[in-house]
Amino acid sequence: MGNDKPNQSFERPLFDYMEKMPGADIALTTSEKLLSWGSENSLWVFPMATSCCGIEFMAAACGRFDLDRIGTVARGTPRQCDVMVIAGTITVKMAPRVKKLWDMMPEPKWAIAMGSCAISGDFYRNIYSVVPGVDTFMPVDVYVPGCPPNPDHLMEGFRRLQDKIRAKRNGEWTEPETRPVMGMQMPSIPRYGSPDRHEVYDEAQLMAAMNIDPDGGLLKEGVELPQLPPPPVEEPAEADADPGDT
Amino acid sequence: MSWAADVTALCSERFGIEEFGAEGPLVSREQLVDLATALKNELDYIYFVYVVSVHYPEEAAIPADEEKGTEAVPGKPDCTLVHWRVRRMPDGERPTDTFAFRCFVPTGETCPSLSKVWTGADWQEREQFDLVGTVFEDHPDLRRIMMPEDWVGHPLRRDYAIETQHFPWR
Repeated sequence: MGNDKPNQSFERPLFDYMEKMPGADIALTTSEKLLSWGSENSLWVFPMATSCCGIEFMAAACGRFDLDRIGTVARGTPRQCDVMVIAGTITVKMAPRVKKLWDMMPEPKWAIAMGSCAISGDFYRNIYSVVPGVDTFMPVDVYVPGCPPNPDHLMEGFRRLQDKIRAKRNGEWTEPETRPVMGMQMPSIPRYGSPDRHEVYDEAQLMAAMNIDPDGGLLKEGVELPQLPPPPVEEPAEADADPGDT
Repeated sequence: MSWAADVTALCSERFGIEEFGAEGPLVSREQLVDLATALKNELDYIYFVYVVSVHYPEEAAIPADEEKGTEAVPGKPDCTLVHWRVRRMPDGERPTDTFAFRCFVPTGETCPSLSKVWTGADWQEREQFDLVGTVFEDHPDLRRIMMPEDWVGHPLRRDYAIETQHFPWR
């Protein structure tokens, strides 16, 4: 993603946000633009790295690709972070932990689903213990497809996220990111943003995540989660009398 | 695979085991702890390699068919085959080698735990209990190790319904 504005150097991206006064050592800007610049260039990352995409994330964070150039610093606690990068397969046992960590992050927060396992479960999606995509239990802002995606792809995902943050701070409407189509069956839990998503799912997932003991195990055995209301029973049409079946 | 001469001699003299085969001898559940203790203390099998178990569903007996010329096949009960392997380190002229032994456990009954003999068996027996449902008797802490704590069923059993939903995550 290059700089498409003329007379502004890509090496000095701050000049996208301020105007240098000719003949004086003064630059003018608005506080909103300055805050927006600071917000999108200091994305601290919580790496939820569970499998091989985590290795690619480490490669992206190390010296050769150097995610630190765009201000992303990987931190070990969710309380200091703005972005959660879910890099890897999320199992049913891991999902409440991820949900709990996501709820610990302060607002405003964003999520990047990195790799096809985090997007849809990929070829583990039909296994009894794998969650078919993290967007069944948490909102996702940017999808980075690949198996695993290159560090370049992750970097490009961060640029897309920066665009989204800038538009949001400017009060502009952005279309939700289109989910990459991966030719899979519909999961039994509707995804975030789906019209079928009942609020009972949010409530049950929140309760199940809060039941996780930080020292391992469950706080309370046999907790009762809210269940979906039963579908409305349709009156069966009156069956035609079958004289032969008596 | 051939077994070492001293271990086959010990098995046949003290436990009456005659058939060894490629996968190791079949041991009865009553002999299991004695055999394991003898292997560790007398023959120096100090390293526990693995315990795995496989669930076999019930198979009905097939009667003989004289027209087709087939013989009768006896049925098998619903059971679990547990398979252990242990190793000893090279000592002088003796190279390193392993020894394996097996045991059939009918479903609903328990298998003696070897975690008192080899401490390394502790978590592996928990894994077999978690995934296959083999219950190890006298295990110090037999609970799930891989699946979520509130999971129902043992997923590697043949009779496990693989499409089981786990609300609200899947």
